Amino acid sequence: MPPYKAGLLKRKIDSNKTNSTSADDKEQSSSNDEENLIQGELDAESDATDSEHGEDDAESDAERDEVVFSDNDADSLLDDKQSAPAGDDSSELTDSEDDNESDANSDDSDNSNNSEEEHSSDSGAGTGTAPSAGSSDEAPKNKTKTQTSRLKPQQPNKKQTKNKSTIDKLADKIKETKVVEPVQQKDEYESGDTSDEEDRVNTAGDVPMWWYNEYPHVGYDLDARRIARPPQRDHIDDFLKKCEDPEFWRTVRDPATGQDVLLSTEDLQLIERLRAARLPSADHDEYEPWVEWFSREVLATPLRAFPEHKRSFLPSRSEQLQVARIVHALKMGWTKTRKQIADERRKKRERQFYNLWGAGDAAEQAQRPRSLPAPRRALPTHAESYNPPPEYLLDKREMKEWDKLAETPWKRKYTFLPTTHGSLRLVPAYPRFVRERFLRCLDLYLAPRAIKMRLTISAEELVPKLPAPRELQPFPTAEVLRLRGHAGPVRSADFDPSGQYAVSASDDGTVKVWETATGRCLRTVELGEPVRAAAWTPAAGLSLVAVALGRRLLLLNPGADVGAARVAARTDELLAEAPPAHDAAPDARTAAAVSWAAPDAAQWARGVRLALTHFRPVERVAWHARGDYVCVTLADAASRAVVVHQLSRRRSQLPFRRAKGLVQCALFHPTRPQLLVATQRAVRVYDLLRQELVRKLQPGAQWVSCVAAHPAGDNLLVGSYDRKLVWFDLELSARPYRTLRLHGGAVRALDFHRRYPLFASAGDDPYLVVSHGMVYSDLLQNPLLVPLKQLPGPEKRGELCVLGLRWHPTQPWLLAAAADHTLRLYA
Amino acid sequence: MAADAGEAQLQVRFITKQEQYAVSDSPYAIQSNIQSSELNTLINALLKETNPTLGKVVEFDYLICGELLVSTVAEHLQEKGLSTEETLEIEYLERFPAPSPQDCLMHDDWVSAVHTHGNWILSGSYDNSVHIWNTKGQHKLAIPGHTSPVKAVSWVSFSGDQAVFVSGSHDQSTMLWVWNVSGNSVDCVVTCRGHDKGVECLSVSADANRFATGSWDNNVCFWSTSLSDEDNIPVKKKSKPEQGKTRQPLTTLKGHREAVSAVQWMDHNTVVSSGWDHLLKIWDCELGGIKQEIVGNKAFFDVDWSPLNNSLITASADRHLRLYDPRSTDSIVKTTYTSHTGWVQSVRWSKTRDTMFLSAGYDGQVKLWETRSPKTPLYDLSGHEDKVLCCDWSNPSLLISGSCDNTLRVFKAKHATAGS
Repeated sequence: MPPYKAGLLKRKIDSNKTNSTSADDKEQSSSNDEENLIQGELDAESDATDSEHGEDDAESDAERDEVVFSDNDADSLLDDKQSAPAGDDSSELTDSEDDNESDANSDDSDNSNNSEEEHSSDSGAGTGTAPSAGSSDEAPKNKTKTQTSRLKPQQPNKKQTKNKSTIDKLADKIKETKVVEPVQQKDEYESGDTSDEEDRVNTAGDVPMWWYNEYPHVGYDLDARRIARPPQRDHIDDFLKKCEDPEFWRTVRDPATGQDVLLSTEDLQLIERLRAARLPSADHDEYEPWVEWFSREVLATPLRAFPEHKRSFLPSRSEQLQVARIVHALKMGWTKTRKQIADERRKKRERQFYNLWGAGDAAEQAQRPRSLPAPRRALPTHAESYNPPPEYLLDKREMKEWDKLAETPWKRKYTFLPTTHGSLRLVPAYPRFVRERFLRCLDLYLAPRAIKMRLTISAEELVPKLPAPRELQPFPTAEVLRLRGHAGPVRSADFDPSGQYAVSASDDGTVKVWETATGRCLRTVELGEPVRAAAWTPAAGLSLVAVALGRRLLLLNPGADVGAARVAARTDELLAEAPPAHDAAPDARTAAAVSWAAPDAAQWARGVRLALTHFRPVERVAWHARGDYVCVTLADAASRAVVVHQLSRRRSQLPFRRAKGLVQCALFHPTRPQLLVATQRAVRVYDLLRQELVRKLQPGAQWVSCVAAHPAGDNLLVGSYDRKLVWFDLELSARPYRTLRLHGGAVRALDFHRRYPLFASAGDDPYLVVSHGMVYSDLLQNPLLVPLKQLPGPEKRGELCVLGLRWHPTQPWLLAAAADHTLRLYA
Repeated sequence: MAADAGEAQLQVRFITKQEQYAVSDSPYAIQSNIQSSELNTLINALLKETNPTLGKVVEFDYLICGELLVSTVAEHLQEKGLSTEETLEIEYLERFPAPSPQDCLMHDDWVSAVHTHGNWILSGSYDNSVHIWNTKGQHKLAIPGHTSPVKAVSWVSFSGDQAVFVSGSHDQSTMLWVWNVSGNSVDCVVTCRGHDKGVECLSVSADANRFATGSWDNNVCFWSTSLSDEDNIPVKKKSKPEQGKTRQPLTTLKGHREAVSAVQWMDHNTVVSSGWDHLLKIWDCELGGIKQEIVGNKAFFDVDWSPLNNSLITASADRHLRLYDPRSTDSIVKTTYTSHTGWVQSVRWSKTRDTMFLSAGYDGQVKLWETRSPKTPLYDLSGHEDKVLCCDWSNPSLLISGSCDNTLRVFKAKHATAGS
């Protein structure tokens, strides 16, 4: 059994128990029981009234009168009035109460009954405060009847005659109902159905009764039938009745129905109590002990039988909003905590003193408006002297002009008339002094002034902070050697891997080998055709120079007297015999483009070890770092512009099937198996192993002329004919890291130093630019580019100036191949 | 300021280490804007007072605070940051007389190496030949033999009629020659092969028993100068008959990372070598190890050691000559001499004077330096029209330089009376 049911049961048991005791006691106890249960209060009272009915059986007749009166009392009327609008529910309520009464000890209270009881009690609680005070006064007799008739549905017909019945009759009837009560139990719903019909009330409304004075009726019942006016008694009748009826003094006329109502003893008591200004009910104990049912103590069982409402488990939304509002206000400083308020109040109460002796701190100074100095007045001139030199005094003509301008004094030369006084003692008071001071003050006061903030940015500050070139030494600073001997523009130059020798290629058809340190030409190879390029193999164990002339690529061995004889001999040995033919068999496309040939004896004597003939002129030559591969760029060869030769197998490859553009130059990546191909607008990086495009770099230049790769391999420098020098950080992005405009003419040659963080660029300008290009191993640090030095270059020949650049492999020396038939070494 | 300095009076005291020129050490008051020429007249006047026998006028150089006076005294003091209030000690010494051009020996090609011994001048040329001249300028012999430019030559010994010299070349060999002076015939006795690349420099030890070569293969090799094979280490390879005897190096010192540009003996057991790898290395020959390393910041082209002042003078790939003290452990340049306008290719100490050396540079100038005058050389020996590649001062009276203009120029150094 759920706890709340048990509670209800207990309540019933209580009420049943009181049946045996006096009505007063029981009422009190029940009220004590359910004082705090608002919904149970009326229930208990109705119980009480019901129990009264039960009592009637056992009590004497004399007491029954009381019971009848008690039925008529205000409380019960109140109950009825409430039950009337409640309709079926109220009828059921009374039924169930009757049921409880009858089976007081039988304990068969079913769930439906209980729930109905609860329901009714709820409704009772809702309307308990509703009834008007006046309604109880107007309670007609037939209302008491309605209740009784409700309890006794077997006698509906008697209702009409009830009005005329005497109080005795009424009492008798009540007695009857009590007697027949058990019978009533048989048909409980019948009473509920008929209750409405039997309810005879005057529906005239809340209107003065004298409105009906001229009518034979006094109002209408619920069926809109007229309620007939009871027979009017005149004074004689009244008098007679007064004499005859001992109860006349307690008979009052109900103004609503015009019938006589006999006030019961309780009514009288009530009136008496009211007159004495006491509580209407004698049973109510004003000072009964207060029981704290709803306390903070958690009870073992819930006090209230019904489960907690869902909202009691949910945080209150409105409270949350309120709290949030308060918190926000606290955060924003709109509201203050008590402590803050107290602090403020205390601070306000403290007396404020001005720090008279304080020096005035910076903050205070800053708060104060800056005092604007008054503009300075011009210093007095000679004319203002008390004894001005005679040339400042006005002569006659000037005086005439002075007088002429009397109307427009601001056009005068002076604002005063220069006058001479013999001594300072004789100078009179200046008549305009006060006036001028006043005007001056007006000027200062009225003319708005402001301090002019001048923004001073010097040109030096806008220059980015770069280390001084002095700190970035060593780098070439001057020309030290001029290698003369060529009869034509020198197209390119290169050092041998150790840096002892340099090789140069010239348009005069010769290739010369030079000693670097002295500038001595050690060897000249006559080739008979303008030589386009010469490049020394980077392999230290070989002595080979790749020379491009016309459509041919020759591999020269500079000879035993240049470099190590053993290396030269070994190179000759390696190149003397051709590899097996099947290894070198090319496909048709390659064969059409390149043909390998062993040199004849004359050529061999000149140093030529291998000759390759291409189908188009060779533009540029680039060695792979290992020295086995040579990459050749051909002019106007479309898709076959780039050819890669492998020396050890004497084999050529055409890496590209389709032309992506006009190939300017191609070179091998210094560290990775990649090929860098520069076309007119873009530089593409191809992976040679996977044979795919790795990335495409857009220098943003109109016409790329040359490309140089940083020896570490992650940076690329692109020179262009439109005077740009573009640095790419391949790790960073495919966009230029920096575009340098160091040249006034086309950039034709670039080179990175292999050891020092240096690069040089030159072109059609009459100077070379050496720059510091530091690449850090820390990937987060961007390369540092500092242009270091403009070296005076060779003189211009036609449009050309410098055609090739090469750094010494170990020293910070720069070799420039110039169009003026010389090579220049800068250090 | 200049006027003030000119008007200032200086208290000076003259001292000298040359006793024949001593004057009284009483202080004199001189004008501070006085120059060395005016000081000269003053000293000579004083000398005439003290020593009337001294006939001729003597030229002096003046040292103030250890540096040679080249400008006025006031400027010199200002440069050194010295006070003009105190009594100044001016040391004077007889000026080294200006060398006079004596001869111009024409070659067929660039002269790359030169060495003198007594009256004989040995020169190497880019035409693969070695030449012998006497100091009168007579060409004695042209010796072909090398197949590449000769880069280094040196006399080894003179014993009666037989002179021995050695030449190193870019053909990776060093040849030991015997020259019969009276017969004027020369013979290649031994060919020393051991270098993989061209020989760049060589130096014969003081006792003439060994010589050291430096090469482009980064090695320094020691060889014996004995003309016969027996007393040396056995020949490992069978020598080729037409080449004469072939000799292997006694020791090979590996240590340089780039070309060895110069070697010089410091004593019988120590060799200093300079390299393009910015290093000066001092080797112990017996142990074959490095005794000391001096790090420069440019490639070294030449180094010379003077036993008189225990200092190293170096020429590197810039305009400066640098003086190092090998006894100091850190690589600190003691003095930098700057006057050349191009690379300095060669530098030689005087054999007799501890403060003087000769340098030759790519600016076509040969300069005679005094160590106490770092800004200004004593004399510029001009005459060359192209890069000067080598110089020599082995004979104290001859200042010889070889150049790219195919000439060997000989300057005669007049002996100062108190020079040696």
